Amino acid sequence: MSFYSAENLYFSYNSTPILQGVDLRIEEGSIVSLLGPNGTGKSTLMKLFLGLLSPKSGEVLLKGKPLQSYSIKERALHVSYVPQSTQVAFAFCALDIVMMGRIAFESWFQKPSKEDRDLARAAMERLGIVHLEKRTFQTLSGGEKQLVLIARSLAQGAKILVMDEPVSGLDYGNQLRLLETILKLSKEGYTFLKSTHFPEHALMLGGYTYALKNGHILAHGLTCKTITQDLINELYHTNIELKQTVCGYPVCIPSFVHHTKA
Amino acid sequence: MKNSFLFGMMIVMLGASLLISLALGRYEIDLGTLTQLLSWKVLNIGTAPKEVMLLSNIVFDIRLPRILAVILVGAALSVSGGAFQAMFVNPLVSPGILGVLAGASFGAALGIMISDSWFGVQLFSFTFGFVAVLVALGVAKIYGRSGSQTILLVLGGVISSSLFSALLSTVKYVADPYNKLPTIVYWLMGSFSAVDMKTLSGVAIPLIFSTIALSLMGKYLNVLSLGDEDAKALGVRVIWVRNSAILLATLLSTLTVVVAGMIGWVGLIIPHIARFLVGADNRVLLPMCALLGATFLIIVDTLCRTSMSVEIPIGIATSLIGIPIFVFALKNAKKGFA
Repeated sequence: MSFYSAENLYFSYNSTPILQGVDLRIEEGSIVSLLGPNGTGKSTLMKLFLGLLSPKSGEVLLKGKPLQSYSIKERALHVSYVPQSTQVAFAFCALDIVMMGRIAFESWFQKPSKEDRDLARAAMERLGIVHLEKRTFQTLSGGEKQLVLIARSLAQGAKILVMDEPVSGLDYGNQLRLLETILKLSKEGYTFLKSTHFPEHALMLGGYTYALKNGHILAHGLTCKTITQDLINELYHTNIELKQTVCGYPVCIPSFVHHTKA
Repeated sequence: MKNSFLFGMMIVMLGASLLISLALGRYEIDLGTLTQLLSWKVLNIGTAPKEVMLLSNIVFDIRLPRILAVILVGAALSVSGGAFQAMFVNPLVSPGILGVLAGASFGAALGIMISDSWFGVQLFSFTFGFVAVLVALGVAKIYGRSGSQTILLVLGGVISSSLFSALLSTVKYVADPYNKLPTIVYWLMGSFSAVDMKTLSGVAIPLIFSTIALSLMGKYLNVLSLGDEDAKALGVRVIWVRNSAILLATLLSTLTVVVAGMIGWVGLIIPHIARFLVGADNRVLLPMCALLGATFLIIVDTLCRTSMSVEIPIGIATSLIGIPIFVFALKNAKKGFA
């Protein structure tokens, strides 16, 4: 029985086909990175995995059962979503946002219990952002916002996190810190499905990689085996060289770098 | 802590404005006599004041139903405005966004033209308030499920509002200019002068129920204001929550038109002032909107009845008083939004 998987997914917006027969398997506790050029269907694929969209054909299975057979609440107990950017038009403080992760557990008129509040605080503590709890969400930096949204997922109690380009808009330091957080959480048993524009980031995280192009899976497997020089060049129409550093770690070097050096 | 103090203050202010409004009017009653009358009539304490028949007629039969209606309408408009602002994630939204006010006004005008009974007018107004919202929802549905639902709803509301405004103009154009037209125009400017115990008892229960129910939806509206996908992923049945909120807010808005005609601005400015006082959390914001809206409308209605020899239509007064307050509040309310 697969943990979390998609079988032969087809999806189209109106008559524009987006996904054409996608298979994807996620093992429990693993990190799966989705690579692919803009507009190739990464976000759509993740929305199908979240149940925010329904496939034209094929299905997403969670713990052996079709995702559609879960109620929206049950689904929220297993899978959570860390969006690329949450537009918060009103001034909520960070703790309020994290507390929203508990909403599936509360009944209609119930106030959040002390337990919910403690869980939200504990989630913020795990990510080292408890000092931000009183701050207004909009005034936080991009990195802090992303951490607050991850804390919300942890408070939600779901062990699978679906992240849409989690590092977009973050500075270099925050990107690395966020990747480290993902790695740490994955060691604690959390499962990640995330899209990224940086093959290097997938390499840093290890796990598995699926390369998506024109609605098809171009390549997939263990990240270190899947991400090759040819794959990157084919995916992005680039001209890079994948080189091993002295310690054996692969890095991408664009061809123009040689030209500028020469 | 700060919030409970604010709520206490607002309840006291509401009570005070209620008392003062009961005392003021063409026949002025001093507060001492009013307290004596109230404690004698309501609590059975003390003795009856002089001219007790006249006084209780003025206070209980004439002023009280009107002021209670003002309280309910003020609270209803403000809570539905606040809820819509959260739902559409837009601080410039007012209760009329889905066309309910245009529809109810058209209904009232049509009722005035073809029906002779007051009840008929109210029924028409109520019905077309709902029809207008259904038109808006229907238009949003035509454009399908893809894309942002809130934008489609706003578009639907714009279309529905325009449609019913045009229909209203048609009614005005063909209405008898001596008998019917002045009544229609007067109705559209809003007034509580026609409120009696019968109207009040008819609308009180749905107004109170919907105001409370909508206020209690605060936490779901909070999540909805993050956007549909976020809310769904958090385990909220977005469509269900949104439709309930629309239903309740529509009921509230259309009943306000039934009671008092068109009263603009309250549903737009009160949520801003409330947000400035207690922040954006709808669980706190919506009850504050109710208290603030009720108090504000009592004050405005009292001014309308007492400041000139003829009554000022309240819709005009809320706009004239509301606009400067809004300009001031907006300056301070900036921190409430992105």
